[in-house]
Parts: sequence; C-alpha cells; structure tokens
Amino acid sequence: MLFFRSEERVREWCARTRHPLRPIVRMDQLWALAREWYSTRLQPDSRRPKPDEMGAIFARLGLVGDFWDPQSDTFGGGPRVS
Amino acid sequence: MDLELRVKLAVYAHFAETGRRPSAADVASRAGVEAGEVRESFASLRSKRVLVLEADGASIRMAPPFSGVPTQHEVTAGGVSYYANCAWDALGIPAALGRPAVVRSRCEESLEPLELAVSDQGPAATDWVFHCVVPAAKWWDDIVFT
Repeated sequence: MLFFRSEERVREWCARTRHPLRPIVRMDQLWALAREWYSTRLQPDSRRPKPDEMGAIFARLGLVGDFWDPQSDTFGGGPRVS
Repeated sequence: MDLELRVKLAVYAHFAETGRRPSAADVASRAGVEAGEVRESFASLRSKRVLVLEADGASIRMAPPFSGVPTQHEVTAGGVSYYANCAWDALGIPAALGRPAVVRSRCEESLEPLELAVSDQGPAATDWVFHCVVPAAKWWDDIVFT
C-alpha cells in the first residue's frame, strides 16, 4: 500500500516491477477509508470492520469490483503477488 | 474490563503517547497485569488480527495504524513522531489520534518526497494517489507485504 505522485508514476512502477495495475485511489477516498478503519481505534469499543461491512464501505466510496471484495475467490487460485 | 481489552488499550495508549512500541513489561505495568498474561493476550490479539507480532511472540511489529519498527511513512502529530505500516495507515494515524498531523513519505516510483498536512477535515488538496497490488481478500495472507 504505497503513495505515488500521479497515476502515470503508478503505471511506470507496475511496468518496471512487473506488478499488476490495480484500481487507483484518490487521497480523499483514502482519508475516508482511514477514518472508517481507525477513528475509534484508541477507544474501548473499537473493532475492525467485518467482511460484509468492508464491502459496504468500499461501495460507498465507489470502490467496487472483485479487487475490493474481501470474500472474493477470484484471486485464490493464481500465483501469489510478491 | 476484561484482561485482553486492558492489554489492547495499554498497547495503543503507549503508541499514541510515545510513537514507539511498548515492551511486554511496559504493557504489564500500564495495564496492571502480569507479564505472562500480556504474552497470552498478545497471542490472542494476533489471532484476531489486532496485533502483528515479531517471531519472538513478545515484540509488536504492528498495532495498526502504528508500526513498531521504522518505515518510509512517518507521521508527526502533537510533537510526537510515529511510523505507519503503509500509506493507508499513514492517514490512519491522524484519524486514530483525532488531531492534525503531517505525513511524510515518498512516491514509490520517482522517490519524490511527499509532505502532506492532514487536518481534522482530512488531507490538504493533492493529486497524489494511492495504489495497492494485493486484493482485499488476500490482505492478511502476508500483512507485512500488503
């Protein structure tokens, strides 16, 4: 999970390192994710989102598709990303 | 409050106050429990994906969004310096602390430095982006790589 100066820098990095190009996330979307995951983390009643809750959070932010599905088996049989 | 919750809160309070990982002894002292109980709680919290531990089972590698070891993602807030596990967690630290922060990191391709002010309304306007190669269903297969 990395920062890039632009979408073009992401494409260059993926080509150079032979990693697949995945959905690109804007910083305002990343802030929304960070708040969903961590805004209560220091409090007694905090808990991690469950898989179905994760899917709903991603969908609200327009992050849809198999990549964002925490229960997807689309990626289960292929070679590990490394 | 049960033992595991006391341990978890002690871990996070230590990170929030100091920016560094607590030892098991630090957690025992802060939570008012025995060292052996801390190690048992650490193992349970690892199984619930709350903590990531080093191989010794006692040193905290991650208490997301905080990193127990130095990384390329540094966050400064309230005069305290923190390390984040990844780009997502770099914004997660000001979200968790509920206070303004400055995130310092880099573009992974060009190595251009990033310095991003984050207020309680979120990051300042920027066209920097975030990218993750690991699909959501596989994040915890190797969370350190993710």
